[in-house]
Amino acid sequence: VTPIASWPVEAARSAARRSLRDGGLVATLGFYVVVAEVMGALWRATAGSRGADLAGYDGAELTWYLFTSEALVMCLASRLIERIGTEIADGSITVELLRPAPVLGVRLATELGATVPRLAACLGLGLPLAWMAAGPPPRPWALLLVLPAALLAVACNVVAQHLVAAWAFWVRNTGAVWFLYQKAIFIAGGMLLPLQLLPGPMRAVAWLLPFQAMAYPPARLAAGHVEPWLLLLQAGWLLVLWLVATAAFAAGERRLQVVGG
Amino acid sequence: MRAVLATARGAVAEAVGNPGAFWSQLLAMVLNDLSWLVFWGILFERVPSVRGWTWSDILMLQAVLTTSGGIVLGPLANARRLPELIRTGGLDAVLALPVRPLPVLLVRRVDAINVGDIAFGVALFLVAGHPTPARFATFVFVSTLAAVVFASFLVLTGSLTFFSGSSSVSDLAFNAIVMLASYPADIFGGATRALLYTALPAAFVAAVPARLLRSFDTSDALVLAASALAFATAATGAFTVGLRRYTASSLWSRA
Repeated sequence: VTPIASWPVEAARSAARRSLRDGGLVATLGFYVVVAEVMGALWRATAGSRGADLAGYDGAELTWYLFTSEALVMCLASRLIERIGTEIADGSITVELLRPAPVLGVRLATELGATVPRLAACLGLGLPLAWMAAGPPPRPWALLLVLPAALLAVACNVVAQHLVAAWAFWVRNTGAVWFLYQKAIFIAGGMLLPLQLLPGPMRAVAWLLPFQAMAYPPARLAAGHVEPWLLLLQAGWLLVLWLVATAAFAAGERRLQVVGG
Repeated sequence: MRAVLATARGAVAEAVGNPGAFWSQLLAMVLNDLSWLVFWGILFERVPSVRGWTWSDILMLQAVLTTSGGIVLGPLANARRLPELIRTGGLDAVLALPVRPLPVLLVRRVDAINVGDIAFGVALFLVAGHPTPARFATFVFVSTLAAVVFASFLVLTGSLTFFSGSSSVSDLAFNAIVMLASYPADIFGGATRALLYTALPAAFVAAVPARLLRSFDTSDALVLAASALAFATAATGAFTVGLRRYTASSLWSRA
């Protein structure tokens, strides 16, 4: 019998195996290549038309930045918030309440287990492609910091999506919220462009939000800006998000009412 | 045709049956679309144009894209869901009707959230497109043709599920065309650019229609119309041939 404390670990391992077997990995990689190529082409064209750098990034650095930032978002399950919200709203989450293990803990472990192999595949494919498109990494040894930063970024994102989806305990429908959350990552999270390119007031707001921990730090590091303190920032946001998500799920589970079975 | 219209009316009634949910989803999509304008606004703060595309050109590209995309993913929502319906045997209910299945299938479900795209696209054109009756007619014309290309492409790639049993290719094709259509085709070069005008017709979903709004050119309009006709024919053929391989599931409620 698996000890209860090992449930999250087992859930993560199982999800990782499923993720590797699933044919969706090919689709994820294909879409990642398309997106990274599109964004790289756009920003290279923009940097080229300007003839110099953009807020401290030249065309090559922007390419490395975008191939990394896109991998961090593409590796995540699509519409996760919507799916969790549906499972809360239709009561299927109640089965998980019967287990002698925290619902949120097992869910996070499962999602991270499924995500990490996809992240490894996206980065494994994307970084050589960035090299081919824009030359060698601006500071190769900065890539050593990209891996832990990428894991922290994905963890922050998964926890935050569960936190937002917990809203379904009260409102039942989180389908529309997913689109807005996604766009917050795109812009305030630095997925589509480095935060330094945001206009002043928008940049000031982005620095205060947790979305910055979900794409910007690993991408900034991959672009050759060696700033190890970004990992501390991510760890801090992960702790905050985890505490709030735990509280939200605890309150939501007490409130949950299910009709039928 | 009466069956198609009656089905469409039923689908619309179902979508607006919960007005609170309908309007909140519509508003969410409008905010979602606005965020793309923020992105482009930030970019064009740095440079006046990208490969010949200016801020106002991008606004028209977004207007056409959201309108045509909204038509396909909103009122014709099943175009996107086709692979899932095929894979899970969800076409049974439509096949039992004494009508041609594809048109009824396409109008059978309205995705309320994407109706917000249509509202946004039309509003954006009215605000930023210097509307005149002639320009509005052009906007309707090119957006409709773009919607035909987009819907046909989804049906064509979705019909591959009849043969492969998997939706991976159609998922990738959907995401790729949406992504590639969101940017000016001119930022790409070589093979990628050629692809956008042929097998993955993203250029005909937004960039070519937007160029027609900037300066109408009869030959470009004819190419767009020919592309719409070719993809519609291919999609209908692929669906018809694929349907012979369909396996029913005795499920009656998913389409």
